[in-house]
Amino acid sequence: MAIDRRDFLKYAGAGFATTLAGLAIPRTAFAKKGKPKVVIVGAGFGGATCAKYLRKWDSNVEVTLIEANDKFYSCPLSNWVVGGMLTMKDLTKSYKGLLKYGVKMVHDRVVGIDTDKRTVSTQRGSKIPYDHVVLAPGIDFMTDLIEGYDEALAAGKITHAWKAGPQTTLLRQQLEAMPDGGVFVISSPARPQRCVSGPYERASLAAHYFKQKKPKSKIILLDADVDIISKGPMYRQAWKTMYPGMIDYRPNNRAVRVDTKNMTVITEFEDVKGDVLNIIPRGRAGDICAMAGVRNDTAGIWCPVNGVTYESPKVPFVHILGDSVATNMPKSAHVSNNQGKICAAALVEIFNGREPDPYPVIGSTSYSATSDHTSGPIAVVMRYDPDKEAYIRQPGGGASEEGDELNFEYMKSWAENIWADTLG
Amino acid sequence: MKVKHSLALALSAALMFSGPAGAAKASKAKEKPAPCLIAGWENPPSVCASHTKVIAATCFICHGPNGKSSTAIPSLAGQEKAYFITAMKEFKEGKREATVMKKYALGYTDEEYEAMGEFFAKVK
Repeated sequence: MAIDRRDFLKYAGAGFATTLAGLAIPRTAFAKKGKPKVVIVGAGFGGATCAKYLRKWDSNVEVTLIEANDKFYSCPLSNWVVGGMLTMKDLTKSYKGLLKYGVKMVHDRVVGIDTDKRTVSTQRGSKIPYDHVVLAPGIDFMTDLIEGYDEALAAGKITHAWKAGPQTTLLRQQLEAMPDGGVFVISSPARPQRCVSGPYERASLAAHYFKQKKPKSKIILLDADVDIISKGPMYRQAWKTMYPGMIDYRPNNRAVRVDTKNMTVITEFEDVKGDVLNIIPRGRAGDICAMAGVRNDTAGIWCPVNGVTYESPKVPFVHILGDSVATNMPKSAHVSNNQGKICAAALVEIFNGREPDPYPVIGSTSYSATSDHTSGPIAVVMRYDPDKEAYIRQPGGGASEEGDELNFEYMKSWAENIWADTLG
Repeated sequence: MKVKHSLALALSAALMFSGPAGAAKASKAKEKPAPCLIAGWENPPSVCASHTKVIAATCFICHGPNGKSSTAIPSLAGQEKAYFITAMKEFKEGKREATVMKKYALGYTDEEYEAMGEFFAKVK
């Protein structure tokens, strides 16, 4: 191709395209207005990190971070709550640390985005203008793919516990209330999904709990996927040695209906009865992404982005971070945090009239526990290739074949450090 | 490869003439600061500065904000540059025992080890 791959236009979005067309230059408009305004929707690992680092790297940028929850609930380690090793209180963090960077925190719910006028509307009636908006809402669920799901969830008969918080605590309470000899059914959706390793970790830590308190109990793991797709050898080894006969793993088994009268999950192949039903639906990019018109991959599920700026290729000045992104990267806290930094750095370069780094590098480490003293990591480095417009996995990445005590320590340490890095 | 990149430099420089900030940059560009390398490609220094800032911040996720860890994972802040680079090379070659660091070391280049080493050596 004649044009160079670092075709600056692609990275800079409509702002620079307009420049080429010889029209008004939004970039220079910042100088007139004074400060560039970035509105970030969602203060999870992606959004909070992006807010913090935007302010840290350029204090001239005005950052408004909109988040519906008053507190931060960590999904990483939430399976430890399921296994009785922690409570949700341990995973509930304050947003106060972000204030010292000059992030303007707004606790409200976004109800609309006008991507032409560049404003974000909230439930409490605010209309907040932006130069760039960053959407980091995490996932929403496609509950309509499982008949009876919404009613069952609303009635508290089933859980997803796939967004940490009250759902996590409810699942824990249900497991505590379950009699010895009971059956715990976990239904896991096919990838791509948030935290692909999570369902297997959940089965492991529930087994850890049952082994201590309810040794006659069973776990049936219904997996829509064909196999344990993350850290398979580690889980198989853990299940065989620590929880023999307790976990019944059934791949290729997608849930299609739930019947709470008979506490039964109906899959494409069988009816599975349980005392506690944990049904994780398929995820998709948060609904706010649909409002902005950026949930537009071929299936209309995830959000394609430019790998340098995380801007939507379709809707200028709208950036997307974290689990909502259409990508080959793991949907992990680590990746979300890292994307938040790449997006923040690219915006700072653009605001200052410089070229953003065309070769961002992403690292992802994710630990999964198999008991209250063993854990194993998976780690991978991905480098953006502007020619291929894709992040390429670097050789050498992969998962531990076995969980151990050192990695259990590191898992705790990783969690403390990523919370500190994300929240101030 | 390098030829390809200088084209990009020209393209972005041309774009920069469009605005006042760009004009200031363009006059500076006449001094031609030495280009730096990322994965074998030549870049303007501002791109490398931004790249280094972000790859160092990637380390913060496990090693704590600014490389200051208060937990079992070691701190990187204040480490001597030479020590950092040697450690990364040893991780890469499998000479130093590691849980995830070999996987990380394999994903970064020698220039990046240098840049990260310099970054963390300066953190007080």
